[in-house]
Amino acid sequence: MWIYDKKLQYPVKIKNPNANYAKIIISQLGGPDGELAASQRYLHQRYSMPYDKVKGILTDVGTEELAHLEMIAAILYQLTKGLSPEEIKKAGMDIYFVDHTTGLYPIAASGVPFDMKYVGVKGDVIADLNEDLAAEQKARVTYDNILRMVDDPDVRDPIKYLRQRELVHYQRFGDALRIAQDNLDSKNFYAFNPSYDK
Amino acid sequence: MNNNMMNNNMMNNMMNGNQNGNGAGSLLRRIQAEDFALYEAVLYLDAYPTNQKALAFYREHRKILDALKEEYRQKYGPLTIYDNIDSGEWDWVKGPWPWEREAN
Repeated sequence: MWIYDKKLQYPVKIKNPNANYAKIIISQLGGPDGELAASQRYLHQRYSMPYDKVKGILTDVGTEELAHLEMIAAILYQLTKGLSPEEIKKAGMDIYFVDHTTGLYPIAASGVPFDMKYVGVKGDVIADLNEDLAAEQKARVTYDNILRMVDDPDVRDPIKYLRQRELVHYQRFGDALRIAQDNLDSKNFYAFNPSYDK
Repeated sequence: MNNNMMNNNMMNNMMNGNQNGNGAGSLLRRIQAEDFALYEAVLYLDAYPTNQKALAFYREHRKILDALKEEYRQKYGPLTIYDNIDSGEWDWVKGPWPWEREAN
């Protein structure tokens, strides 16, 4: 089960609403490498993971991703709070506004709604952990791209924090892959997983 | 373990970033910083469960975090549904909620 902790993992306090920033940052809510995809990827992969330490890593990183999903939501909520219809129209956010007003609906920046296709669950320890290593790097690149587009320090600060977390999660998934490979036959240097057919 | 820790600069931002100057805000900042340190140790311990340095780090920061959370609960209200002090009212629902500007 999960228990809600009534605080953000890292503070989000944005003074100036900005629909243009919200339009791109929403990709980390419902985009291919966003926090919703990350949380669902790890929390679903854990059931077919044979090793206790890796079950722990998937559970705890997956849980942290839920906290990051909330931080992105807080950023979007604060960036769009109190905007006038004119400001929304001027930023080109009217095409979102017409369906969702300023409610938070997980889509990619391109407008494509969140899709479970972003969540790789192969049920194979080597395939899934390599998926996770790539996913952390892709999320890191998305945050780098957001930082290339956003000037406001109030927005950049929590985005930089989230970027940093991708690097740490990449380290932990590196540990997880090493643990998994240590559990395979030591002569199995091509690191395929023979367990399912055994 | 240190090279996986967040750089000090960011940690300081977390500690000092509160600009609303109220007691609840600065206490919450300290809780967030300690909670972050603890969670970092948790992820590390998942992969290295017998690392004594990491276990000692967890123990030390867990103690600090528990004390800070208890102080927060007594002064400003619950952080989880299990922390609600029975004041004849259900304080849990009182805002601001975490995603709101005023809570940060």
